[in-house]
Amino acid sequence: MSKLSRRTFVKSLGAASLAPATLLAAPPLLAAAAGATPPTQPSAATDEKPLYLFFNADEAAFIEAACERLIPHDEVGPGALDAGVPNYLDKQLGGSWGAGERLYRSGPWQQGTPSQGYQLPFTPAELFHAALRAILAEFDGKTAFKELSAEQQDAYLKSLEAGGKDLAGVPSAAFFQMLLQMTVEGYFSDPVYGGNKNMVAWKMIGFPGAYANYYDLVDKHGIKLDREPMSIGSDRHGLVHPDPNIPASL
Amino acid sequence: MNALARSNPIALRLLLVLALPSAALAADPPAGDAARGATIAATCQGCHGAHGEGVPATGGPRLAGQTAEYLGAQLHNYADGRRTNPIMSAMAKGLDAQKQADVAAFFAAQSAPYAARTVEPAPEQLARGRTLTRVGDESKQLQACANCHGPDGAGERYATPYLAGQSAAYVASAIKEWKSGARHGGEAQMRPVAQRLDDQDIAAVSAYFESLGDNAH
Amino acid sequence: MTQRLKATDVVIIGVGMVGSIVAKELAAAGYKVVGLERGQPRFTVPDFQGPAVHDELRFDIRKALMQDNTKEAVTFRNKVSETALPIRRWESFLPGTGLGGSHVHWNGQTYRFHANDFQLATKTRARYGAKFLDPDLTPQDWGVTYADLEPHYDRFEYLLGTSGKAGNIKGTIQAGGDPFESPRSRDYPTPPQKEPYHGALFRKAATDLGYHPFPQPSSNLSQPYTNPEGVKLNACVFCGFCERYACEHYAKAVPQTIILPVLLKNANFELRTGCQVQRINLDSTKKQATGVTYIDGAGNEFEQPASLVITSGFALNNVRMFLLSGIGKPYDPATGKGTVGRNYAYQTVSTVASFFDEDVNINPFMASGASGTLINDFAGDNFDHAELGFIGGAFVGAVNTNGRPIQYHPVPPGTPAWGKDWKQAVAKHYNHTVMFSIHGSSMSQRQNYLDLDPTYKDAWGQPLLRMTFDFPPNDLRMAQYVTGKAIEIGKAMGAKQVAGNPRKGPYTVTQYQTTHNTGGTIMGDDPATSVVNRYLQSWDVSNVFVIGASNFPQNASWNPTDTVGALTYWAIDALKNKYMKNPGRLVQA
Repeated sequence: MSKLSRRTFVKSLGAASLAPATLLAAPPLLAAAAGATPPTQPSAATDEKPLYLFFNADEAAFIEAACERLIPHDEVGPGALDAGVPNYLDKQLGGSWGAGERLYRSGPWQQGTPSQGYQLPFTPAELFHAALRAILAEFDGKTAFKELSAEQQDAYLKSLEAGGKDLAGVPSAAFFQMLLQMTVEGYFSDPVYGGNKNMVAWKMIGFPGAYANYYDLVDKHGIKLDREPMSIGSDRHGLVHPDPNIPASL
Repeated sequence: MNALARSNPIALRLLLVLALPSAALAADPPAGDAARGATIAATCQGCHGAHGEGVPATGGPRLAGQTAEYLGAQLHNYADGRRTNPIMSAMAKGLDAQKQADVAAFFAAQSAPYAARTVEPAPEQLARGRTLTRVGDESKQLQACANCHGPDGAGERYATPYLAGQSAAYVASAIKEWKSGARHGGEAQMRPVAQRLDDQDIAAVSAYFESLGDNAH
Repeated sequence: MTQRLKATDVVIIGVGMVGSIVAKELAAAGYKVVGLERGQPRFTVPDFQGPAVHDELRFDIRKALMQDNTKEAVTFRNKVSETALPIRRWESFLPGTGLGGSHVHWNGQTYRFHANDFQLATKTRARYGAKFLDPDLTPQDWGVTYADLEPHYDRFEYLLGTSGKAGNIKGTIQAGGDPFESPRSRDYPTPPQKEPYHGALFRKAATDLGYHPFPQPSSNLSQPYTNPEGVKLNACVFCGFCERYACEHYAKAVPQTIILPVLLKNANFELRTGCQVQRINLDSTKKQATGVTYIDGAGNEFEQPASLVITSGFALNNVRMFLLSGIGKPYDPATGKGTVGRNYAYQTVSTVASFFDEDVNINPFMASGASGTLINDFAGDNFDHAELGFIGGAFVGAVNTNGRPIQYHPVPPGTPAWGKDWKQAVAKHYNHTVMFSIHGSSMSQRQNYLDLDPTYKDAWGQPLLRMTFDFPPNDLRMAQYVTGKAIEIGKAMGAKQVAGNPRKGPYTVTQYQTTHNTGGTIMGDDPATSVVNRYLQSWDVSNVFVIGASNFPQNASWNPTDTVGALTYWAIDALKNKYMKNPGRLVQA
């Protein structure tokens, strides 16, 4: 059962420093992973694969391996696969976000300066499909990306990140940045969107989630709030009812 | 010097050394011991039940599983007059800070089936309660109770107590105490809410929260 | 086929903060007022309720409360030699939409400008000499003084219930407030919010360094409050979902919680939502407006005749409305002629991150949008610039407003952008970092302006607004200097590591900074260099008033909302007591 371990910070007008008062209990250690596992493997507790609606099997295999390199499972905390990040990407790209919600889509198109931001005609779904087509073609006949070692996978991702490569019309850096951004979203967003499964990422950092009454706690300076995080989809018993098909529109 | 400082040497030392008393930054209450608390809790059973399940016949509310911090703070408030009740005030004053923490720890560690209902609400009453707790009422400037009290009265640990399965009679009386100004501790948030709830709505939310005490779950 | 409607006394374009207040005052004075809002109606219950509203993906990342770029964007370039391209996704600034406008999702930071700001040109030259200014800068006096606006600042703050501690009441400096502020007639309506840990750490360090920390004035209220309109607000619970979100708790001062309950009961007012105003219609002389044309949500076009038109949309939209309607002469940076669109400015924002040991729990998620602690020692002209080679300044403060993890996961410089080391740094620093904001002034310069784009259009077929802007070198020098001071405060807080990130050019629309876009319909005494007179009345079309941050000749060190509120009540005063009694030009140029 979780405890409120209190480290009261007592303000003083005269004290020379703001040293915290004596600990009543040490802050809990971050959860240790289950044994030493290879960097590309999620924890043993990962459920079966999600139902992919956007990615085909080959695309999904690449995405799973790539996301896991962006946020790998290790002794500090969960990785992208533990958190269900590929499922998040799949549902976003397959939904209204992927289709171009909230994107000014009229031409004409010019590359623009870095200050001018994204200037490609692709919707996120089109961008991912094109880029993945090119990436999978590159690996055709060779060892699949997911079979490479972690170092080789990282080197490939860095080559995408560095830019200069054209992925069926998509600049590789643009694809990489969108992949990274969506991976972070899938890791830290509310679990109702299909990622951050069981709020593992929130538990790692100590973010309490969507229910947030702190009126009586905000001035308990330095307190360690050791409570289970709460999702938008949490019910009274702490179970999250995710709906991975919730579109990200108002 | 408040009662807490008189009875708690640690708090007293902090207050003297740092000369900065503040309700928000008061020294920590001592850590409670649930085993010691079990002994003290024998005197609570009559109204609150052996495991803090509440006793409808006496009006004693459910305590089981509420955070030790919340329960301890209520005992403290009964002891120093911020809450008043003929039975609880006397009970709390008879417990020093350590005993308050111990019995709070005991009840916080309990789990118990829900006690029998104190009210039999009509379906419209439950529907109204459900609306108020989950959505609110713009015409009365009432936000959803869930914002602070969590999904279906689950509470937000260390911030707001759970209400699911709480005695309807008790919830109603608590709201009325905030409304009248009799209850302190939490009034910055609860008094405006209570003032906007009429008797019908008080009955509706109380009945709805109590109805969530379903032993099937 | 345009349907011509029955005439009304007043038509208001945009029912946000300004539009709601103007509508309420004029309807209460007996005038028939039609409020046209392009967005949807929305209210605290049910639309702003939790837990759904505490959804970082939906509101922060997907920007659910913001103007929809698929229908209407802005084009942007740093300089005239470039081609402006559409801002295809909002990042740098986030224009709102909907009933209540951007005021629904603001942070509640409520600062007055300083007396010096209203006569910036005159006072800067007097103190430092005319040669001190970079030649491209175009600062101007406002045509009103702080003393003119003080009663209106006061009225606005009491409408909101702003929580703060005065620093100067009628000339007497008050302990605990900002000693640099210009005199106010009385204290804030409610006391300051509770100070979170990061504010307390900042306060101690700033005090030790001899600065003057004070609580950030917050319109997320510290206690329950009933405003002079009889509308009640609650005490904020520091939920950490303030900017970009609507408040579930009736605790943030937004039109829904301060004035709409009164306005919507007045039978003189009619709200029409889903109505996109296309232009203000002018008569054949082009000196009088006859009303507006708008298209409703179903695509039907209407003409709404009116005797008086108030343009009270978001600042950028106000400028665009004048340009689309042919009111005033568009500014041309090549010749320096024309006024509409000139003196566009923004905000110059820098940050400092202070990293602490893992036993120091900052809890950034326990915060309101304005529960910080700040100093104004380096803001405005509060310090001597003679040896520094720039004008303007910034407030410096510990203003963590949230701990929402998709966007907030600070890591020290040099941390990789992804991978094991990134993740470990995120876990190590998330709850043990304090972020400072160095929130700086933005000077106008002749190359920065707004006009209509020649190529790109909105969903209704009208040209988008084109923004040409880069940071004046003056402002980047200011940012560098004040960030240096902020770094010293971070070190004095006892942080293990302090990383400063002063604003650098070029300005990019790809990174959020603020939604404090100012200028374009600036106020002044001279129609050759301003679009509206001191009463915010168009020099060219006397029955059109425009009220908003588009009136600012340049932007000061602080957030604009309080000053927009003061200008609103100032203009209402002129409308009710001068204009409506005798329509016509209020100022002879």
